[in-house]
Amino acid sequence: MEATLEVDVGLDRNEPRRAVEEFERFALEHELPMGLTFKFQLALDELLTNVVSYAFEEGARDPVITLVLQVADGRLEALLRDNGRPFNPLRDAPVPDLDLSAEDRRVGGLGIHLTKAFVHTLSYERVDGWNRLNLVQPLAAHREDQT
Amino acid sequence: MNVETSYSGSTAVAVVDGRIDSANAKDFDEELSAIIDRGVSSLVVDCGGLNYISSAGLRVLLIAIRKTNEAGGGLALCSVPDHIREVLEVSGFVRLTKVFATADEARASFAK
Repeated sequence: MEATLEVDVGLDRNEPRRAVEEFERFALEHELPMGLTFKFQLALDELLTNVVSYAFEEGARDPVITLVLQVADGRLEALLRDNGRPFNPLRDAPVPDLDLSAEDRRVGGLGIHLTKAFVHTLSYERVDGWNRLNLVQPLAAHREDQT
Repeated sequence: MNVETSYSGSTAVAVVDGRIDSANAKDFDEELSAIIDRGVSSLVVDCGGLNYISSAGLRVLLIAIRKTNEAGGGLALCSVPDHIREVLEVSGFVRLTKVFATADEARASFAK
């Protein structure tokens, strides 16, 4: 099985949902496991929400955010690109302390925490003015997890 | 997302369905705040029809947990689908709020 989906994401708070719903349709069409689809969707949502919320100054010129998804060689891969300010969420996002009480808990970093927990391999690079986040999820390993 | 609430004194059960993400977390916050502002200190959030929640939705739950704790009650969850439960576990929310099988059990936990 080999398939690709490209989604242009606008700089709007409703856009992450539209993008991940496109991914959901893609996943359904290619019969990806439901548990994997949910987790990957959540990860994409969290990362895209970060980009849409924080990567660009107000009135930024020509903001571009793109998501490319690919199923091939028994794995699902996503490349999330934006030309916003340099930000490596894997390194720079705050790390939540999950042992704190509700009163002391801060919510920052929770989305990245979930993303790291739900995606097999995540990597970040900054290339020629672009943030590039790569997500890789083996399909077979997940199927074994499901049984 | 849709929230249907039934009230019984200072206890309420809010049945939430659909999807909660950054696009509608504000609406969810307004719904829960309105319930608590009516004098509800013990709030059960029934997640039976909830099919998606991101960290934006968890943030709203955290605020509601704080408010109901402050009011001397608390927030409990019930009927949580497995995939949502995993989100609650990974994010440490199972330590912040109790999770019950049914709304009746959750409600009864406040009566004690």
